[in-house]
Amino acid sequence: MKGRREAQQLNLSSALLALSVLADSAVEHYRGSFHNRAMYTPLAVAGLTLGASVLGTADRRPRSHGVRDSIYALAAVTGAAGLLYHGYNITKRPGGLSWLNLFYAAPVGAPAALLLAGLLGKGAERVRLPSSARRAAGRALATVSAVGIVGTVLETALLHFRGAYHNPAMVLPVSVPPVAATLLGAAACAPGRRVGRFARWWLKATALLGFAGVGFHAYGVSRNMGGWRNWSQNVLNGPPLPAPPSYTGLALAGLAALGMMERETGAEPMWGRSQCDARAH
Amino acid sequence: MSERYPGYDVLAKRDSQSWNAQTRAVIDERLALDPEAHRFFNDVEWVTLLAVCARIVPQPAERARPVPIAGLIDAKLFEKRGDGYRDARLPPAPAAWRRALEALDAESQAGYGVRFHELQPLNQDDLLRAMQEGKTHHPAWGDMPAKVFFTKRLLHDIVTAYYSHPTAWNEIGFGGPAAPRGYVRMDFDRRDPWEAAEVHPGHEAEARRDNARVG
Repeated sequence: MKGRREAQQLNLSSALLALSVLADSAVEHYRGSFHNRAMYTPLAVAGLTLGASVLGTADRRPRSHGVRDSIYALAAVTGAAGLLYHGYNITKRPGGLSWLNLFYAAPVGAPAALLLAGLLGKGAERVRLPSSARRAAGRALATVSAVGIVGTVLETALLHFRGAYHNPAMVLPVSVPPVAATLLGAAACAPGRRVGRFARWWLKATALLGFAGVGFHAYGVSRNMGGWRNWSQNVLNGPPLPAPPSYTGLALAGLAALGMMERETGAEPMWGRSQCDARAH
Repeated sequence: MSERYPGYDVLAKRDSQSWNAQTRAVIDERLALDPEAHRFFNDVEWVTLLAVCARIVPQPAERARPVPIAGLIDAKLFEKRGDGYRDARLPPAPAAWRRALEALDAESQAGYGVRFHELQPLNQDDLLRAMQEGKTHHPAWGDMPAKVFFTKRLLHDIVTAYYSHPTAWNEIGFGGPAAPRGYVRMDFDRRDPWEAAEVHPGHEAEARRDNARVG
């Protein structure tokens, strides 16, 4: 089955994003003392999504799984609701939509990772279906990953700006992933071996950056007063350890989408008449 | 007055992540101060200073470890630890304190025939109020304005000495030096687990339970 590997890879992407959301919301909502009962929701839903995704990565059957599919739908809806709720949390504070509140209130873009986990998971289930149903899936997934990466870059840019880019490495996640997202977007519009190859490199670099980011953030925690010994403050107050793997998850999804697009292009020459090309002509 | 932070003892944080060796050393030194010892003031000045401190910040009699306000001021003057600034109308702190305590005693002798520390508290308050309002008359004040001394030196030194001590921190729910551990829940009415819990009417047990865990 052609799409099986990509499907499992997409489940893995979803798993990474869900893990990131689970750990990040656990830490940050604990910091927020679960002031609002709804703050438990992302923990439960991300936990379910993670479980479903891990099972999905081991599922080699060529068909979608109903329960997994429903969990992914739930994750997407929860992520979207979270986005609205974080937006509300920011605007209800004194000063409303100000830099201060964007920096220190509920992070505006964080719930999007759960939405993306849901969408990529839905994609994983969809590409397991016979090829007719997943014809445009590669392009759609490439678009989701590219947009997801751009959104994550915006969040990173905001929070690394708050951190005054005091370490030169803080520039990496706002410079490498945008290139990967652009190339991925270009590959989605005009599938071709060359763009695809470049996109692949930059996506791999982005995936690596997600891993390396955890290391950088751990170093950031150690640099706060008291270092790791003062973990109960510094893990909360320092750079968020679970945030960077979102990049890895999105980059892996982008790689899976590239793989699908390349094969579809090879198998079906008519792919060239995509909407993007039509617009270009 | 009932306790606002029942069961809270800032020293429970001493050996936790909250404090490091430097913080412990500073606080230990402050706690080791002998409340009777005075190296800067002589015996005559000392009893007057004790009486003044007791009127400016009276402390509950049942306190196990009252704040040695006079002792903290004496140590600061003896060790020549300045603030780095002073009101130019006053002489430097050591000279200002000596002159003020001598003048206060002289004022008391002139008005009541006894020394300041021997006065009834209400009469002590009258003299302190006269100082605060600049209505002292004794020539012992010299060219030092009593009113300026009261606000810029006497209140400043007594209140800062009082609130530099863990006993006062327990009273107001202060966590002591945030070194190395500070606070992460910065919103209004949020509390870190290592922060003093304020009592809410009818919920004293909860505050007491939380305060037992701040270490």
